[in-house]
Amino acid sequence: MILDKLSLDGTVTLITGGGTGLGRAMVRALARAGSDIIIGSRRELPIMEAAEEVRDMGRKSIHYVVDVTNSEQVQEMADRAIEEFGRVDVLINNAALLRAPLTPIWDMTDQEWNYGISANLTGAFYCARALSKQMVDRGWGRIINIASQYAFRGGRNMFTYTSGKGGIVQLTRSLALSLGPNGVTSNTVSPAFIPTEVDDSKRSSPAPNPMFTPMGKFPAPSDLGPLVVFLASQASGYLNGGNINVDGASMAGGFAPNGFSPSYDEELT
Amino acid sequence: MPILEEFFLNDKVVFLAGNGEGHTVDLARAFAEAGAKIFIMAPNQDTVENSMIAISEFNGDSLGLIGDPSDPHSILKAKEALLPIWGRIDVLINNTRFGLNKEFINTTDESWNQLIDINLGSARLLSRLIGTEMLQNRRGKIIHIISGLAERGLWNSTAFSASQGAIMQLTRSLALEWARFNIQVNAIGIGWATSEKDELMNNYIPLKRGINVEEVCSLALFLASDSNAFISGSPIYIDGGLMSHP
Repeated sequence: MILDKLSLDGTVTLITGGGTGLGRAMVRALARAGSDIIIGSRRELPIMEAAEEVRDMGRKSIHYVVDVTNSEQVQEMADRAIEEFGRVDVLINNAALLRAPLTPIWDMTDQEWNYGISANLTGAFYCARALSKQMVDRGWGRIINIASQYAFRGGRNMFTYTSGKGGIVQLTRSLALSLGPNGVTSNTVSPAFIPTEVDDSKRSSPAPNPMFTPMGKFPAPSDLGPLVVFLASQASGYLNGGNINVDGASMAGGFAPNGFSPSYDEELT
Repeated sequence: MPILEEFFLNDKVVFLAGNGEGHTVDLARAFAEAGAKIFIMAPNQDTVENSMIAISEFNGDSLGLIGDPSDPHSILKAKEALLPIWGRIDVLINNTRFGLNKEFINTTDESWNQLIDINLGSARLLSRLIGTEMLQNRRGKIIHIISGLAERGLWNSTAFSASQGAIMQLTRSLALEWARFNIQVNAIGIGWATSEKDELMNNYIPLKRGINVEEVCSLALFLASDSNAFISGSPIYIDGGLMSHP
């Protein structure tokens, strides 16, 4: 039966950045599909609440305070996950630095660049490094990396986010070639701008307008959940190294299709 | 076993068209398992009959017609049969693929035109004639099942890969054109179907094996279901990692 393969019953998922926004919506869908979940993020309160919500749904869950740019902390989180759950079947690299200031390149410090790349790319590498070997040893695993439309297109004064997310796509491809022979698949999900409570209060750039998207609306955080469940499941076994855009056709082309008006450049200056 | 309810297609009306090559019967079975009503159209009787038998295994509702998916009259006839009974079409699955393994220099005008008519013609005509119904309802999902050769080339495959690339571009532009009507248009690019004997090819594929038809079916189900609210205009390659190779 095909549909049975879409259940995550008995699987263990580790997700970074799972306390708010898209991550929280993914956590809910994963739990509904039957997965136990380790939720790692920098801020404790949201992930503590998220883990409690998962436990209320009848699954096992712990939260772990982690800065994914810190390799030692990531390793400790992975060790804790294995200690508590025995294994991790699915890794979702969702943590990212959404609120980096849009700075002219000549004003960007080494520190800002390095931190942006660490948060948007290196953290995913740390997590994959810490958890992939035990997946390979068991001959089964799923790595799902959350990228962005900005992995494929540029953004004005948006250097670390675009470079980091572009790097995520390539990290995924190389993981697919390296771990695929051992039954571990790796894929990228690239959402369009999705309004969340995090974005609304702390945006450093003009807010996008749904009028300038092909569907005339933005995705909701919950639109990402079932896709992540599908990719985490047995049913997605032959998808490997690929990318799935969740963007309402924005990447298909069009005129200023990403939510920003054609006068976006003027708005920025 | 917990399965997200969004993955089911209860009472969704699916128009499944194929030309008899590969997967059509399996797709019919998968959509029946997920609870859909299925109209099956294929040029050969075996595909139509076997699909309807597969659907009946799940006590699913089915209608069928022997017809050519690249012939507008056949598609219109199918619509005339379907609409009075089920009233609408929610999902179009186009599984029409016609291959040609021929050197470019020996690809005649006739064989080129025939292949383009079948592959690109069916994608265009099905999208237009079935899409008309979706436009009226302001909702729908169109899924073309194509080959990974939409993106990459292959020796002796100019006509086929050109047709697949063309369907991909039709998919992108139509996705934009119909986005405001809540119609999502996507393409699944499938990888190689190898047997265990094809050692060299299997070894080249990162997952070390060929594609399993169930894996195509489950991706098609996901894209056709309510769980996919925002994926549109995208090629989704299901190829075991082939596209990640240099």
